[in-house]
Amino acid sequence: MSGESSSNQGGETEERKICANGGSVQTETVEAKLDAGNIDEAESALREGLSLNSEEARALLGRLEYQRGNVEAALGVFEGIDLEDAIQRLQSCSTEKIHKKSGLSGPHLGANLVLEAIYLKTKSLQKLNRIKDAAEECKRVLDAVEKIFPQGIPEAFVDTKLQETISRAVELLPQLWAEAGSYHEAIASYRRALLTHWNLDNDSCARIQTNFAVFLLYGGIEAVSPSTATQVDGTYNPKSNIEEAILLLMICMRKFSLGKAKWDPAVVEHLTFALSLCNQTPILAKQMEEVIPGVIHRVDLWKNLALCFSAIGHRKTALDLLKKALHKHEKPDDITSLLLAAKICSEDSSFAAEGIEYAHRAVSCSKNGNEHLQGVCLRVLGLCYGKQASISASDYERSRLQSEALKSLDEAITFDPENSDLVFELGIQYAMQRNLNNALRLAKQYIDATGGSMLRGWRLLALILSAQQRFQEAEVVTDAALDETAKWDQGPLLRLKAKLRIAQSRHLDAIETYRHLLALIQAQKKSYAPLHSTHQIEDDRVNEYEVWQGLANLYSSLSRWKDAEICLGKARAIIECSSETLHTEGTIYQRRGEIDEALATYVNSLLIEATYVPSKICVGAIMSNRGLAMLPVARTLLSDALRLEPTNRMAWLHLGFVHKLDGRLSDAIDSFQAASMLEESDPIESFNSIL
Amino acid sequence: MSSEQKVSWSDSFSEAQTAIQTLSTILPSIPSTISSSDTPSLALLTDQELATQVSDHLRQPDSGAGDNQLCRWLYDTFNTSKVDLQLVVLRFLPIIAGIYLSRIPLRKPLAGFEAVLLAIYAHETTARNGQAITINLPDLSHPSIYHESKPQLHKSSSTDLNLVVISPGLDPQGTIRSTKRARIIGVGLELYNSKIVDMPIQSKLDFCEFCIIWAGQDGEFYKNFPNDNREEKGKEDDTKNEKQEGRVLLPWEMLQPMLRILSHCLMGTYKNKNHELHEAACRACRSLYARALHDINPKAILAIGSLLKLINFRKTGVDHTELPVTNVINL
Repeated sequence: MSGESSSNQGGETEERKICANGGSVQTETVEAKLDAGNIDEAESALREGLSLNSEEARALLGRLEYQRGNVEAALGVFEGIDLEDAIQRLQSCSTEKIHKKSGLSGPHLGANLVLEAIYLKTKSLQKLNRIKDAAEECKRVLDAVEKIFPQGIPEAFVDTKLQETISRAVELLPQLWAEAGSYHEAIASYRRALLTHWNLDNDSCARIQTNFAVFLLYGGIEAVSPSTATQVDGTYNPKSNIEEAILLLMICMRKFSLGKAKWDPAVVEHLTFALSLCNQTPILAKQMEEVIPGVIHRVDLWKNLALCFSAIGHRKTALDLLKKALHKHEKPDDITSLLLAAKICSEDSSFAAEGIEYAHRAVSCSKNGNEHLQGVCLRVLGLCYGKQASISASDYERSRLQSEALKSLDEAITFDPENSDLVFELGIQYAMQRNLNNALRLAKQYIDATGGSMLRGWRLLALILSAQQRFQEAEVVTDAALDETAKWDQGPLLRLKAKLRIAQSRHLDAIETYRHLLALIQAQKKSYAPLHSTHQIEDDRVNEYEVWQGLANLYSSLSRWKDAEICLGKARAIIECSSETLHTEGTIYQRRGEIDEALATYVNSLLIEATYVPSKICVGAIMSNRGLAMLPVARTLLSDALRLEPTNRMAWLHLGFVHKLDGRLSDAIDSFQAASMLEESDPIESFNSIL
Repeated sequence: MSSEQKVSWSDSFSEAQTAIQTLSTILPSIPSTISSSDTPSLALLTDQELATQVSDHLRQPDSGAGDNQLCRWLYDTFNTSKVDLQLVVLRFLPIIAGIYLSRIPLRKPLAGFEAVLLAIYAHETTARNGQAITINLPDLSHPSIYHESKPQLHKSSSTDLNLVVISPGLDPQGTIRSTKRARIIGVGLELYNSKIVDMPIQSKLDFCEFCIIWAGQDGEFYKNFPNDNREEKGKEDDTKNEKQEGRVLLPWEMLQPMLRILSHCLMGTYKNKNHELHEAACRACRSLYARALHDINPKAILAIGSLLKLINFRKTGVDHTELPVTNVINL
C-alpha cells in the first residue's frame, strides 16, 4: 500500500504489474499496446491475463491511462464503456450475493471496477475543466451505489477498495458542485455526504466536515438551515452558516481529541477565525485547551490562550500564560508575546513595573529583525512608564518616570507618525504632566487624524481647555462632540458639560444638563442594553450613581440642603456605603457650620476607604483650625493626601495654611504657590477618566 | 424608454434602462454592449470598461461632493430598491468607502459619498428592522444532526444556549455623525459581504487595495508567516518606512466585516478562482496582520494570524480525492 513510489520508471523498487483473480500482467506490456494505439489488443491482454470481462478490462485500461496522466485518452476509454448497463447488471445480481461475502472476486470486483471507472471519468472531466460534467458523473457514482446497495453499504465492505472509491466520490462531489458554481447543490451534497450512511471512516468524515465548514464560513452563500423533520427537545439545530460551521469544526476537534481522526491543523485555525470574529475567544480557549498535549506546540498554545483571554480583558490570566511562554527556557524573544505582555501591564498600575521590563525586551528584539515594530515597542514602553509614574511614591521617581514615558513616546512617534493612537497617548501624557500647550496641539491633531470619530479625542480636548480655565471654549468643544455623537452615547459628554457649567457658575444650566443626563440613563435602563450598545462607548457609560452624586454636590454648593439630601438618598439607594456619598454629606454639615458632625462623617468616609483623598484633606483642614497641638496631625494627613494625589490643589492650599500657622513661612509660600499654579492647570475631570 | 415586452427578464429592466440613460450623461461613453443588453442590470454590474470609467470618476479629487452627479446616480440607483441594481452600487462600495475615509482628514466636501453610504445603511436598518444579528453558539453537550452526545450531559435545562451578538442593533441615522462613521461603513460592508458571490473580481480587488491603504502598514515581512525570527535575514530590502497615506482607525465594527470579506477572497471562491485576487487578498491579509500587531489587538491578531496560517496550509494541501499511484495494482 505504499503510494509514495512515483510512476516514473526511475526507481527499481518494484515491478510494475497488475494482479487480479490470481493472475498478473506487466503494466508496461499493456501500456506499450496502448501507446501503439492497439486498444483492443491491450484489452484482450488484460482479459486473458486476469480473467476479466470486457467492461472490467476496459475500466482497467482507463485507469492505466489516467494514472499516466493521459486524461483525454482515459476519458475516451471510459466513454466507450456502457456503464449504465454495467450498473444495471450489478443491481440485478442482487445484494444477497454480495452479502454472502463471496470473496473478492465476482460481483464485488466488478462493482468496484465499474464504480472506479465512473469515478475516474469524473476525475478526468475535472482535470479537463469540464466541472459540471464531472459533477454529474460523480453524482452517478453515488446514485449507483445507492441503487446497488439499497439497504446501505454492508459493513463487510468497510476496508475494501469499493469503499475507498465510494468515500472518494462522497468527498469529491460537493467540491465539484461548488467549483461548478452550483452552490446549493454543493450544500445539498455536503449534507447528503454527512447525513447518509456511507460507511465513511473517521478521517474522511472529518475532512468532509471541515470542507463543508469552510464552504459555509467563506463561500458567501447563505445555506438554508438543515431540516430536521422532528425537532427533538434539547437538540442543537444550527440556523445560520456560521452556527453550522462552528458546530462542524467543534465536532472535528472532538474527534481529534478522542484520537478518532487524524489531526488537521487547519481545523483549529478555521475555528480561531470564526470564534474570534464572533468575539467568543473564551470558547476558543476552551477548545484549544482540549487539544491533546503536544499537538500544538506549548508555547504557541500559551500565546494563543493569552490572546484569547486578553481579548476579553482577563489580564491576569493572560499575563500568567505569557510569563510561561516568555520564560527563558521557552521563547523569551517572541515579539508578539512581549508586546502583548507589555500592553497588558500598561493597563494596570500593579503590573506596570513588570511591563517596563517586557517592553525593554521588546524594544531590543525589535532591533533584531523586527524593525517595523520598533515604534510599537517604544510606544508600550512609554505607556508602562506613564502607568508606573502614576503610582510612584516619590516626587523624584515620578518625574523621572514621566520623562522616560515622554521620551519613549516621542521616539515612537518618529517611527509611526501616522499612528493616531500614539498621538492621543502622547497628548494624554503631556496633559498629565500639565504641559498643556503640547497636549492641546496633540489633542487637535488627534481629532483631525481621526476625523472626530473618537469620543475620547473630544473629551481630551475639552478637558485640556478646562485645565487652561477656558471653560467656555471647552463647552463649545463638548457641544460639537455632542453633535457628532448619537444620543445613546452622549452620557460622558453630558456629565462633562454639567461640570463645565458649574465651573462657570452657571448652576441652573448645570442642573438642566444633569436632568438631561438622568433622562438618558433612565432610557438606557429601560431598553435592554446589551444587544444595543455599540463599539467604544460600551464600558464608557455614565452610571446613575455618579450623576446623583454630582447633583448632590451641586445642590450642596447652592446651599439647597433638602435637594442635596434627596440626591444623596438616591445615590445611597444605588451604593449603600461609599466614601464619596459620606464625603458630600460631610461637606453639607461643614457648610452649615456643624463641624463636629462633619468631622465624624469624614472620618467615616475614611473608614470605608482609607485612601479617599477629599476626606483626608477636609479632616486635615478641620484639624488645622483646632489649635497648635493638632497641627502635626493636619500636616500628616495633608502630606499623605499629596502622596496619593500630588497635583491636588486643595491639599497644597491647606498644607500652606498649616505651614503658616506653624510659622514655616517659606514652606507656606511654596505650598501656596503650588496651589495657585495648579489652580491654573486643573482639568474639570481627571485626565485618567478618559483612559 | 423602450418598454418592450421584456418584462420576463426581470422587473428591473426599465429601471436599469433609465439608469443607463442617466449614466450616459455623466460618463464620457457607455459601452454599447450595456445599452443593448437584454439584462442591463447584469451588464452594469459586470462590464469591465464601465467599471473602470466609474472608478476613475470616483477617484477624481472632487468626486465626493454633494452635487456630484455620479454620487447622485449611485444614490438614486440604490434607492430603486431593485436588488440587481443595488448590486451595481454595492459593487463600488469598496472604492466609495475607501476614498471617503481617506479624505476625511482633508476636510473635503463629502456629502455625495455620505448620501450613498447612508442609503445603504438605511436599507440594511430597515431590512433588519434595527435588530442585532445574533447567533446561538453550539455546545457539543447538546446533540445535533451531525453528532450524538452522551445522554447524561443534557439532562438538565437544555436551552442554556450561548447567545452571541455578531452585529449590534441599528439606529436610523440621518447624517453621518463622525462617531458613527465606522459603524455605517461597517454595516455597508456587512451587506457587501452578504452579496459577495455576485461581486465581480475587480470589485474585490478594489477592496483588497483599500485594506492595505487603511492598514497603513507594509506586511511583506509576514510573507513566510509564521516567521522564525532567527532565520529571517531578509533585512536587505529594508523599505525605509515609506510614509503610508490613508491609514485609518480600524475599530472592530469595521474590521470584523472586512475580515469576513477578506476570508472569502482567500478561501471562498470556488468558481472562477482568480490568482490575482488571491495574491491581492494575501497581501491585504499581511498588511492587516502588521496593523493588528501595531494596534496590539488580540482578537485581530488571532483572526488574521489564522488566515495567514491557512494560506500556508493551502500551499501544501494533499488532494484526498486522488487515486494513490502504486506500482502494483491489486484488484
